[in-house]
Amino acid sequence: MIMDNVKKAAISAGAVAVIAGGCNGREKDKAAEELIAKIKDSDAEVRTKAWLSAGQVGAAAVEPLAKVMTDEDLEVARAAKRGLWKVVRDAGRPGRKGGKRAVVGKLNGLLGDDQPIAVRREVLWMLSEIGDAKSVKPIAALLSNKLLREDARMVLERIGDEKCIAALKAGLKAAPEDFKLNIAQSLRSLGQKVPGLACVKLVPTKKTNVKPL
Amino acid sequence: MKNSNQLNRREFLAAAGAAASVPYLIPSGVLAARGRAGANERIVMGHIGVGGRGGGLLREIKRFRESGVVNIAAVCDIDENRLTNAVKTAGADVMPYRDYRYILERKDIDAVVIGTPDHWHGVQMVHSAECGKHIYLEKPACCTIEEGKAMVKAGKENKVSVQVGSQGRSQPEAYLAHRYLVNGNIGHISRVDCFHYPSPEDNNPVPDSDPPPELDWDMWLGPLRWRPYNRRYCPGSFRWFLESGGGQIRDRGAHVMSCAMWWMGADGTEPVTVEATGTPPKKGLYDSAVLMDVTYTFKNPDWVLTWRQMPNDQLPPAEKRTPEELNSKIRKISRPGYGAIYRGDKGEFIHWGGDGGTWAERKARQWKPPAGAKDVYESPGHMEDWFKGIKTGAKTIMNIDAAVGVANLCILGNLSYILGRKLDWDQEKQEIVGDEQARRMMRRPQRHPYHL
Repeated sequence: MIMDNVKKAAISAGAVAVIAGGCNGREKDKAAEELIAKIKDSDAEVRTKAWLSAGQVGAAAVEPLAKVMTDEDLEVARAAKRGLWKVVRDAGRPGRKGGKRAVVGKLNGLLGDDQPIAVRREVLWMLSEIGDAKSVKPIAALLSNKLLREDARMVLERIGDEKCIAALKAGLKAAPEDFKLNIAQSLRSLGQKVPGLACVKLVPTKKTNVKPL
Repeated sequence: MKNSNQLNRREFLAAAGAAASVPYLIPSGVLAARGRAGANERIVMGHIGVGGRGGGLLREIKRFRESGVVNIAAVCDIDENRLTNAVKTAGADVMPYRDYRYILERKDIDAVVIGTPDHWHGVQMVHSAECGKHIYLEKPACCTIEEGKAMVKAGKENKVSVQVGSQGRSQPEAYLAHRYLVNGNIGHISRVDCFHYPSPEDNNPVPDSDPPPELDWDMWLGPLRWRPYNRRYCPGSFRWFLESGGGQIRDRGAHVMSCAMWWMGADGTEPVTVEATGTPPKKGLYDSAVLMDVTYTFKNPDWVLTWRQMPNDQLPPAEKRTPEELNSKIRKISRPGYGAIYRGDKGEFIHWGGDGGTWAERKARQWKPPAGAKDVYESPGHMEDWFKGIKTGAKTIMNIDAAVGVANLCILGNLSYILGRKLDWDQEKQEIVGDEQARRMMRRPQRHPYHL
């Protein structure tokens, strides 16, 4: 029954959700435009149906949804974010190679300084699920960004291939003292030895002001 | 690594004397066999997370202090108000801490009770085991597949006794239900359908804000990736987020499905496929499924387990119990909104609850075992079963292996829901197969320095 409801929601939003395969660029852009219009709707029901169907619009929806993720209406921004996650989850389906590549390409392009921090942080985590070899360089570049470096090193850790390990090693060499232990943590979890940087996970640091009776 | 109990009396007294300002207690392990508290010694406890459920556990342990089973040495919370209250509850000579790692450093503490939000369970359990502490851990055991693997490994390598708080297994009526089912009263069981009312929606969303002064937001988040504070995240509402609590399927699934795995004799087995669908909240910060259908398919032996969050009006009605049936062990059904239906080839059986309240259908309660009937383990109580584990090394009723197995069901159900597709699970390899995105989601990197 729940499955039926979800399908119905997706189908009723199908007017905006043109299946990516078999559509030309203009049709895809039109589908994305219609999706965004529904994402911005004042009715929560309409917004929900729209974001649930966003995966079917695919790569064409990535940039428009990212733009709306910082909308001043919190519920609209949230619907856009959830819609973008739907695109990511749909793109990651086994066998969706071309569609996935297109989505990853668009996401890689959203890591630049021209994007708001909140968008870049979310995009990093999306790439942690579907990012490919071409994602490593733009993610690794954020190891030097004070606001995003912790997310970036975690995302490289999750992707975890040889390229990521190399990027983390290079990041460790260039890192300021206050970030070296973070990168060392990722390298260790990927099975690498990191001599000279002791693990501090069991070292207590935070004191309470509460006194015993 | 040295077990915290592996400290001789002279070393311990010297250490305690050096820290004269702290009311250190003599660890029971000092007076007993290495690593195990003596049969007549009090187990020295530290409590990590003392609000909400953690506060309930503190009050429960206090009763065991009054009966001479334990001492309470320390309490810890990242909310100063909750910590203040816990100090009042625990009384004199109990040391408060914000950072649980101070508790792990104390050689006089034998065991910890962890009642923190779920996203802390894996890290704190592994750290506690590595420091040689016996552990009572609130359920669900873990939030990711990889956390679960690390927890099982840490428990084994450090030879500590772990009890996970799926206390339904220890309830009097759970014993009656288990005994009834294993004696074939409903025949061969090929399907167990768990039912639960929906997860809540956040109908009053609020914007992000500064955290209140009493809350250490950095430590509340712990291993989770950073995000701004929002009043909807905590305290108890962490349950309605996929990253932290996981919704009803992880909160109560860790109880109801725990009973199912125990009674079906399925601990140590895992499904081959998991398929979930669900309905998300229409607004607000919560993101766990409101309604949900999950199907787990097991092979060799073949059976099906389902988890269904359904509208309240579709829940099975609760059994009405007569006053004559009630006594100290058999009580009224106070939480009829969840449970499971066991479907056999000779009939069906239903139970309600599955946590601190577990209620078995009348026919199981009234069944008199004939001569030669099979018996099953009857827990002396969930805490008592843990204390027995600490003192004798006996396997606990909800040991870490079993608890991770149940938590994995909840995790895989949510992963299938999030991804919108069926997942194939390889029990031998302990991984999702044929789906790279899902495979990556088996682990979640952790924020420095709060990691496994």
